[in-house]
Amino acid sequence: MSDIELRNLSKRFDGTTAVKHASFSIHDGEFFILVGPSGCGKSTLLNMIVGLEDASEGEIRVDGERVNDLDPKDRNMAMVFQSYAIYPHMTVRENMAFPLKLARLPKQEIDSRVAKAAGILELGDLLDRKPGALSGGQRQRVAMGRAIVREPRVFLLDEPLSNLDAKLRVQMRTEIARLQRRLGTTTVYVTHDQTEAMTLGDRVAVLRRGEVLQIGTPRQLYEQPENLFVAGFIGSPAMNFLPARFNAGRLELPVGSLELARDLRAAVAASEGPLVAGFRPDHLRAVGDRAQADLCFAARADVVEWLGADVFAYFDVTLEGFEAVALPEDLDIEAGRQGRSSLVARIDPAAGLKEGDTLDLGVDAAQVQVFEAGSGRNLSLSGRLDQA
Amino acid sequence: MSAAGANGGRVERLFWGVGSAVVVIYALLPVAWIVSLSLKRSADLGDNRFLPRVVSLEHYATVFRDPQFSAALWNSIGIAAISTLAAVLLGAFTAYAVVRLEFPGRRLILAGALAIAMFPPISIVGPLFNTWRTLGLYDTWAGLILPYMTFTLPLAIWTLAAFFREVPWDLDKAARVDGATAFQAFVHVIAPLAAPGVFSAAILVFMFAWNDFLFAASLTSTDQARTVPAAIAFFTGSSRFEQPTGSVAAASVLVTVPVIIVVLLFQRRIVAGLTAGAVKG
Repeated sequence: MSDIELRNLSKRFDGTTAVKHASFSIHDGEFFILVGPSGCGKSTLLNMIVGLEDASEGEIRVDGERVNDLDPKDRNMAMVFQSYAIYPHMTVRENMAFPLKLARLPKQEIDSRVAKAAGILELGDLLDRKPGALSGGQRQRVAMGRAIVREPRVFLLDEPLSNLDAKLRVQMRTEIARLQRRLGTTTVYVTHDQTEAMTLGDRVAVLRRGEVLQIGTPRQLYEQPENLFVAGFIGSPAMNFLPARFNAGRLELPVGSLELARDLRAAVAASEGPLVAGFRPDHLRAVGDRAQADLCFAARADVVEWLGADVFAYFDVTLEGFEAVALPEDLDIEAGRQGRSSLVARIDPAAGLKEGDTLDLGVDAAQVQVFEAGSGRNLSLSGRLDQA
Repeated sequence: MSAAGANGGRVERLFWGVGSAVVVIYALLPVAWIVSLSLKRSADLGDNRFLPRVVSLEHYATVFRDPQFSAALWNSIGIAAISTLAAVLLGAFTAYAVVRLEFPGRRLILAGALAIAMFPPISIVGPLFNTWRTLGLYDTWAGLILPYMTFTLPLAIWTLAAFFREVPWDLDKAARVDGATAFQAFVHVIAPLAAPGVFSAAILVFMFAWNDFLFAASLTSTDQARTVPAAIAFFTGSSRFEQPTGSVAAASVLVTVPVIIVVLLFQRRIVAGLTAGAVKG
């Protein structure tokens, strides 16, 4: 049980900076997620915390004690690797006992701890097998088991679920969450999957190109993204983005215009360059008549994805007179091309929407977030912050 | 179609069968000849028969009665064993460093090692003879162990490096996080996984040291350090008019047997290690 504090932590490999001035705290017992696209430095950050990489600059403190110069073996942290990294020449039992043997615990203590961990992870019947005879999910459990037997100060998990198939991944996700709650150990979890980040994390740090963009609860990241990247990265399907401009107190979009709240107006007026309006698929809804939402427009459903409880409909809109939004490339969102853009809406399945149907869609001004296209800054947020 | 296929299969099998038989006979005929010679009586040595008329162990008895031979055997075993142990140990550390650590001159070490392995041993025997005499290493175990290691370390490094490369680096990191020192991680995790490589390297080194004649003949002069291949050359007949053919044959058989045993013993492990290959967890 420990809290971790990073102070101005940087990592440079010759020429490139993998992590830039990361400063944040991870609280005792917290399930903390590092999420971001590949190459964002999340694994490097984890490796620095556990001591497999040296920090180029800055400090790592665990329970107030500086650990930069401690060898990984002396940090009492347990790590689960993406490849599981279980020792192929040892049985499951030997794998789990390995860290305890190194710690020179008495044999009885080792046996009882291994038995207990095996019980928690339902590995009891597999203890005498070699990893080669285990399925992917079972290997994953062994890796978890080897981490928990040590009763470490901190768990570090590096994309532990990415080698599993989709169904098993969801199942193990729940198990990891349950296990963490049960043990209450501070956990740092690295993933590129925003769904894992949102479902597991007490708090999530979004990283991009070595920089921590935003840290917050999943809800904060979803509702109040501080910039365009976080807004686009968090949420599935991704947020809808449309080019926008500010004109006489109103925000003009390719599909119409809407009145901005007064404090947002000031922030938008003070901004520079082109604007991007963003709204979640959940907030784009079918409306019966035009008075039901601040901004209404008709659109034709191109693709309808029926998922049982939800229907996601993709609408094609033209960007007459607007330049397509230039979204960060690593978001992997199609922002529009050839003067057209696609919008996603979550529609009530009861409406019986079919591909090719034209629908009246509406979105409320309060749900629209306005971003500065150049810097990616969320102006709506600064407007709200000014208000507060 | 199927008949032609079966026919083709039979021809192919015949081809491989005959080919293998030719190779095996070609390779083993001299060995069989030596074994046969060693079992003949002295009087029958020149009888031009492939199988001995009467099987006799008199040459083996002679060889073991000769104090020169038992001293040489002891030297051979000791020198080969120490060379193997030292070369594999040093080679393992070097290979591990070369594979796992980033340091300047990494490629140079590998290239240099390869260059040394290519060096013709005969070219250094002369200088070595003089150097060893000055240093007092002439006719000592160390005087042979050192050149043997020089020529076998590159082999050991290259073999072991290839095996270490196959071990996922994550296992090493996992061991370090699990509380192992770098050395413990090497001993408990990396080395066992590279065991087939260690055995391959050990066999190569052992064979080189065991079979060497050039250094053994040039750098030794007495029973102090002379190994069996060199000692055989100094065998004399029981009288000046007699060729020591029988004793030479018996001694040759005696030095070949350990090598065959070693290969047969370790071959299984090597093959098992190579085929299992399921290193990835």
